[in-house]
Amino acid sequence: MNKLLGICLLAAAIPVWAHHSFAAEFDVTKPVKLEGTVTKMEWINPHSWIHMDVKNPDGTVTSWMIEGGSPNALLRRGFNKHSLEPGTQIVVEGYQAKDGASRANGRDLTFPDGKKLFIGTDASERTPDEKPSEK
Amino acid sequence: MAHRLQIALSALICVCAGASLAAAQDLALAAKPATARATPALRTADGQPDLQGYWTNTTVIPLERPKELADKAFFTPEEAAAYAKNQLATPAPTGPGTYADVHYNMAQFGLERSQTKVAANIRTSLIVDPPDGRVPAMTPEARDRNAERAARNKGHEFDAAENRSLGERCILWPNEGPPMMPVGYNSNLQIVQGPGYVAIMQEMIHDVRVIPTDGSPHIPSSIRQWMGDSRGHWEGDTLVVDTTNFTDKTAFRGSSENLHVVERFRRVDADTVLYGFTVDDPSTWTHSWSAEIPMTKIQGPIFEYACHEGNYGMANNLSGARAEEKKQQVVK
Repeated sequence: MNKLLGICLLAAAIPVWAHHSFAAEFDVTKPVKLEGTVTKMEWINPHSWIHMDVKNPDGTVTSWMIEGGSPNALLRRGFNKHSLEPGTQIVVEGYQAKDGASRANGRDLTFPDGKKLFIGTDASERTPDEKPSEK
Repeated sequence: MAHRLQIALSALICVCAGASLAAAQDLALAAKPATARATPALRTADGQPDLQGYWTNTTVIPLERPKELADKAFFTPEEAAAYAKNQLATPAPTGPGTYADVHYNMAQFGLERSQTKVAANIRTSLIVDPPDGRVPAMTPEARDRNAERAARNKGHEFDAAENRSLGERCILWPNEGPPMMPVGYNSNLQIVQGPGYVAIMQEMIHDVRVIPTDGSPHIPSSIRQWMGDSRGHWEGDTLVVDTTNFTDKTAFRGSSENLHVVERFRRVDADTVLYGFTVDDPSTWTHSWSAEIPMTKIQGPIFEYACHEGNYGMANNLSGARAEEKKQQVVK
């Protein structure tokens, strides 16, 4: 069984499929933390895009675009067009676009109180022997 | 409902307890007690075996058997449960400032496999033939062909959209096939049947396979298509789909345009279609090989994907590469 678990751990390290190379689009040397207001959300594939206005230290405002997950997956998880209404305050941590534009990947999205924007299944909920309930 | 992990391993345990390994092998998956296997196939109004509905082929089982499990074609139910649990666990956080970290939190965006339904499977690999569960060796011709393909693009990966992968270009994803391989998320499909046709709509990334079952022959070999030309027929309760006429750009695991795929669809119970395929290409592999992937029922509908119209990532990747080139020039 130990041997088996070792294999499991190895396999778990394999990255999940992504539609494109994140490292090609975003700059690993430019981490950003953005706090601002949602202006709109684009429900498009292969990635959703959240638009937000961020106030700069000098008082000016920059519009940022934040790349997110596939709308199809979000919708199946209960995320809908009311989940992130314009005017909502959010905090985004990610990496800025390589070309220097005001775009970033939404690596982690939280509300100002620290609550995650979208609560994924907690590891403790994942019981592999759970019976299917969806029909 | 869809918000929770739904993996039918408990049902799997039922069958394994009472069935021999050979019986499990024959069934290939263990979703119902042995008695359920005698259930007559579900039928459409016109009497065909009914494959219709929404399905996912999401799986935790790798295509090829891990080398460490070389002598083990099947898990015990306990091992299968442990394996699935580990596969579905949230990956360890990656370090800030590393390339692996330049991604988003999969759990937050509903992209972890644990957030979708996964079909039970006690196999240690999707490949069932050859018996070692691994893709057969490539022919020398295929190795040369693929080395040449890779060399041609080397150093030009971000020159233009045509240099990027078929997936990034929104042309073809592995789930579309044939053969239809599971992918990490949105690995969902719908099957619809009508007189003389079976249609398969894949959620990712946009294609519908319309498969004639009227006995008509393949299109002329001079016509080549991304997804080949599929023709189906029924062998008892099994839909058999034969596909030829691929382009050499499709390159399923390095294949050539001579790729020949035979798929088999069988409704083994109300919640499961057992999907199997055999691929053959003498100019690529030393012999043919086969795999089996159980597809489990999910709630519809299939959502539109419309990959190309929202593919900002393509332009962003290319402009990122141009910015990188400028930076390099300044350094010089």
